[in-house]
Amino acid sequence: MRRIWPVVAVLVLGSCGVRPSGVTDAGRAPTGVAHGVTLYFVDAHERLRPQFRRTYRLGTVPEAVSLLLFGVGDSDLHTEIASVAGPRILATTGPGLIQLRVPLALREVTPLGIDQIVCTALGVHVQSGGSRRTRVQVRFTLSTHESEKRRTCPLIR
Amino acid sequence: MTGRLWPRGLRARLSLTFVLVTVLGAAAAAWSSAGSASTALVTSTQRRLTESIAGQIGATTPQLTYPPDQAALDRLRAAVGANTLVTYRDLRSADGAETGLVTEALHTAVRTRDRLVTQRVTASGRPWLLIGTPIVITGPDGARTPSGIEVYAVRDLTGVERQVDDLAWSAAGTAALALPPAVLLALLAARSVLRPVRELRDTARRLAAGDLAARSPPQGADELAELTVTVNEMAESLQTSMAAMRRMQADARRFAADVSHELRTPLSTLTAVMEVLATAAAEMEADARESAQMAITETHRLVRLVEDLMEVSRFDAGTARLRLEEVEVGNAVRDCLRARGWLDQVDLAAPEEIPLRLDPRRLDVIVANLVGNALRHGGPPVRVSVSATREQVRIEVGDGGPGLPEHVLPHVFERFYKADAARVRTPGSGLGLAIALENARLHGGDLTAGNASGGGARFVLRLPRKREDG
Repeated sequence: MRRIWPVVAVLVLGSCGVRPSGVTDAGRAPTGVAHGVTLYFVDAHERLRPQFRRTYRLGTVPEAVSLLLFGVGDSDLHTEIASVAGPRILATTGPGLIQLRVPLALREVTPLGIDQIVCTALGVHVQSGGSRRTRVQVRFTLSTHESEKRRTCPLIR
Repeated sequence: MTGRLWPRGLRARLSLTFVLVTVLGAAAAAWSSAGSASTALVTSTQRRLTESIAGQIGATTPQLTYPPDQAALDRLRAAVGANTLVTYRDLRSADGAETGLVTEALHTAVRTRDRLVTQRVTASGRPWLLIGTPIVITGPDGARTPSGIEVYAVRDLTGVERQVDDLAWSAAGTAALALPPAVLLALLAARSVLRPVRELRDTARRLAAGDLAARSPPQGADELAELTVTVNEMAESLQTSMAAMRRMQADARRFAADVSHELRTPLSTLTAVMEVLATAAAEMEADARESAQMAITETHRLVRLVEDLMEVSRFDAGTARLRLEEVEVGNAVRDCLRARGWLDQVDLAAPEEIPLRLDPRRLDVIVANLVGNALRHGGPPVRVSVSATREQVRIEVGDGGPGLPEHVLPHVFERFYKADAARVRTPGSGLGLAIALENARLHGGDLTAGNASGGGARFVLRLPRKREDG
């Protein structure tokens, strides 16, 4: 009978404290570093094409979209987005959705142009650790139902 | 003594077992819940810490120059917080003394697994959480490649440990709280179990003491109730058979009493006739006189037998009464011997005066019987000695004969017991010693038979000097 009490004490006090453990997995490693950013333009055959820009860092979604709106530069690719002066991009990242506010009206971009914006934004999002299933909402300056569409990039599935 | 200790032992054992089981159960429950709670606490704290670090790294990396220089590593390290080590190839940015705790196993895991890993260690008595992770490059297509940057962070778990300790102590407290109600319940349970046991014990005691009407009411329908019913049934059948036996005994005694009573009247007539016959015997023929003498002797024997039977019946019926008088024992014995003309055949030793309250007639019966037996069956010299201590008076009757055989000793006081089967025709009724013993007992004394060391039978009558009811 008397031998039970130490056992009880050991049981009660045994749960005390935080015990050391071995190496345990705790999830995916963080990501986000990159040699540069990938923008999407259109080639002569009206196909989306990625273009890598060596910026020595990934940067943010608005930065990448601003870079996209800035133009293709010296290349055989072209952009289907009208050039705008002093582009200001606002991006809001929610769960499963990136809302992009672009200083463009719907008539200033072709559908391929919208894909350019969506792919560039989604590319940065994925490279900084986001999910590839995230949808992108491109909100134009003039109110249109196209602003409400949740889009995906045909190149990033 | 054991009868009184046993239930106490049972109660103690019952209570102890009950309390032990309850407290152990409470302790086990409290311990297990405290254990799972502390595991959950540690896990959630770990997750919070790792998520926060992963979040801090993830928020910083898009702005981080790659490949990084020392300044970039310092910036990343500052973003993660204190006690952090960031390495990239040969570059290294460390802050805080505890970064030395990072184990080789963690380093290896970070380099080989491309996953965020954690490890708990204890250093200088404090628990630490080591978090290690590589930073990977994700391509636009989702392909992950290692970047070569590794981040190690060391976080203190002392706060969690304190919470876990609190949980354990509160678990112990809960278990301790269970103790008083457990004791109370145990006592109640023991009482409910032991009450019927105690009642049963009392009933059994009363039965053993002769109260055959004792019963205990069965309560409930458990094993104890069954036992109670069984004991009651046993008592019932015992009572029935005892009653039957007593009735038969009483019938037999009454029959003996009736018979002796009925015989008395014809016997007194017969005695009167015999007296007439005795006076006429002198003028009879020799053989007729012999027959008459025999008839007279046998009639006297018959009268004696009937008287003894009636005396025994009185003892059996419990109607024998003492007529106490203050007498001097030595004188009483001497009177008894003198009345029967035995004074010259018997050595009487009564050196001191012993006054005693007793029934002189009954003492006379006892002494006459013992001395008569000694004279008749034993050999001379017959000695009677009267002595006294503070508690009792002792009258010893011994003879110089062969003594009583061993196999006879236990039976000498039985009614109609004949030591020698062949010696049937003795003048005694066969009831003399039985009546003597009853008389001794009526006085609160005792009569014992034995053999003296030098041979010869020895009967000892002991009478108490102070009677309980006198």
